[in-house]
Amino acid sequence: MGEIVLSVENLSKQYRLGKIGTGSLRQDVSYWWKYSVLKRQDAFFQGTDSDERFIWALNDISFSLNQGDALGIIGSNGSGKSTLLKIISRITAPTKGFVRGKGTVSSILEIGTGFHQELSGRENIFMSGYALGMTKIEIKKKFDEIVAFSGIEKFIDTPVKRYSSGMYVRLAFSVAAHLEPDILIIDEVLAVGDAEFQKKCMGKMQDVSNQNGRTILFVSHNMTAISNLCSKGIWLDKGLIKETGLPKDVVRSYLEKFAQPIPPREWKNASTAPGNELIRLKRTSVGAADLSYISVATPIKISCEFWCFAEGFTVNVNVQLNAEQGECVFNLGSSSVQAQNSIMQLDVVIPPRLLNNQSYSVSLTVVKNHSEPIFEFSNCVSFEVQDERLGVNYFGAWPGVIRPFINNDLRISEKLDKGSLEITDSFNAQSS
Amino acid sequence: MQEGTQKWDWEIGPKPAHSFAALKSVFAYRHLHAALVRKEFLLNYQQTILGPLWIFFQPLLTLIIYVLVFGKMIGIPIGKSTPPVLFYFSGIILWNFFSDSFWGISNTFRDHIHLYSKVYFPRIIIPLSVMSTNFLRLVVQLVMLVIVIFYFIIFKNFHPNSGLKLIALPFVFIGVAMLTMGGGLIAAILTARYRDILNLLGIVIRLLMFVTPVLYPLASVNDSLKWVVLINPLTPLFELFRYSLLGEGTVHADALVYSFSLGLLVLISSFFLFNARSTKLIDIS
Repeated sequence: MGEIVLSVENLSKQYRLGKIGTGSLRQDVSYWWKYSVLKRQDAFFQGTDSDERFIWALNDISFSLNQGDALGIIGSNGSGKSTLLKIISRITAPTKGFVRGKGTVSSILEIGTGFHQELSGRENIFMSGYALGMTKIEIKKKFDEIVAFSGIEKFIDTPVKRYSSGMYVRLAFSVAAHLEPDILIIDEVLAVGDAEFQKKCMGKMQDVSNQNGRTILFVSHNMTAISNLCSKGIWLDKGLIKETGLPKDVVRSYLEKFAQPIPPREWKNASTAPGNELIRLKRTSVGAADLSYISVATPIKISCEFWCFAEGFTVNVNVQLNAEQGECVFNLGSSSVQAQNSIMQLDVVIPPRLLNNQSYSVSLTVVKNHSEPIFEFSNCVSFEVQDERLGVNYFGAWPGVIRPFINNDLRISEKLDKGSLEITDSFNAQSS
Repeated sequence: MQEGTQKWDWEIGPKPAHSFAALKSVFAYRHLHAALVRKEFLLNYQQTILGPLWIFFQPLLTLIIYVLVFGKMIGIPIGKSTPPVLFYFSGIILWNFFSDSFWGISNTFRDHIHLYSKVYFPRIIIPLSVMSTNFLRLVVQLVMLVIVIFYFIIFKNFHPNSGLKLIALPFVFIGVAMLTMGGGLIAAILTARYRDILNLLGIVIRLLMFVTPVLYPLASVNDSLKWVVLINPLTPLFELFRYSLLGEGTVHADALVYSFSLGLLVLISSFFLFNARSTKLIDIS
């Protein structure tokens, strides 16, 4: 790709924990008197204490970006993502290291930078635009576009304090979306607004990243967006670069670490295990067959073992899968066995590309002779399905309780030539 | 990567950018400065009945109180020819210019941390915009004062003998602005770190008013206490202000040199200090 436009070299940032300074002027003066004038030993920089009072938010980070790169930065809370963006945006200075770059930089670290509640939408567009580094000519040129994108034309002269929160967010994002710097820095700000607006935002993001020449740094918890929008990925962990590479690989490693397999639950003692005198739960496990985490593309295997203390009737198990809100997704009746003093095992394999990415829980009901429930183990197994989407343009929450893979296709079934179009037009004209 | 052949447009390192570079980038952000000033005016008169008229009413109400309390009740001698209304009015508007901008600049970090912590712009823009806002207010009030002066000239037989003395007026503003900006920036740096100073500062400003010739002329101060008032670098500027507008005041060249050189010194040193400290202060604000 193009030339290097941003180079981050051995960047480190140290923060002091706890109170900044020692609190008040009096304390600082007495501190200074004791340790600088009287030359007493410094209590703060002694022994193990000194390590605990400081934290390296970033520790020797180096990377570079070429023109046109879109870098996705992922990491758990406190991993240093925001600190990195703040340093590159020049808001805070690094403790060590350098950032060097070419061209103009704009950063969107929050939605509504420079907005003031009392001012009208119009005033705020200018205020925010200037704060984000736009010029007067630029804002004037794009003003109509910004207003149209936000969809709040009617309220443009109303103070934003009377806006609904949705309107506020839309206007604020619209201003930010019309920035045209060489390097654009975006913190987790797109996770606001309603689904429809998020769709619009992501579309805009994609426009920006596709435009030639624009370099983007993008922090998000939306792994799908990172995988699809970015050309490079960085995983930050406790201030260190844990992994760099293709975003989809980095995202996978990250999910593998954090969406850890759910450990099987096991009850050693039959007398304290959930259940009653006839049936008790011994062990439950849930997991993906091949990967360490469950995603929409993996089969999901649920296994349960029971102690059975009854004899003389048939038992079977009713398996109910519930979605996040508790609605039933499906209900299965297992095959039945003759009850005897034994350990029974139930295996359910949910095929890949059936469930959506959300949390599900399983309730089991053990039934005697196909009619009489013996015991209900409600929500005894729960799991979360991770998202995995590539080659799509939509990164918001996928609607639906399930996301089955169903063939559907849209195609051109018949080409119309120009003449027939005119016929339709004249037909419309006649009828109206 | 070809080391050395790379030409960078900018660099961010542990040390703050050079002060002159910071000053240069102020020009690029002039629109933000203008927008901040505009915002300040819009906000002040939003949802008020009298709206922008408050810019006149606020000093007028103060004037009435001062004329009644200090002029009529206490009866501070204010000079031979100057009508009390003009004397107090001129003192009030120049004092308001100083105290409002000084207070505003001192609160830079507290009031604007939400903006400072989310976006980069030359940090000095905020104090500058506070200064400009108050300067514009001063200009408007000055126009009002001039109208009142003309009223007194025409109807009350008042002879200020201003004429050429008016040339001194811009220098008064420059002098006060330098002291305000310099002192304000230092106060801003201190208050960002020690919030307790903010509580103190309000009282200091109020006390300062009593050692500045706002309510009395320098000439009427007891000789044994004069040095207290003269040590205040604002004193010569307030006297010069009245001298050039109303034709009466104690003006000495050496006192003015003292004010201006102190103003320049404070302004320059505070600017360097502010540039060096502001990024760190944003971390702790």
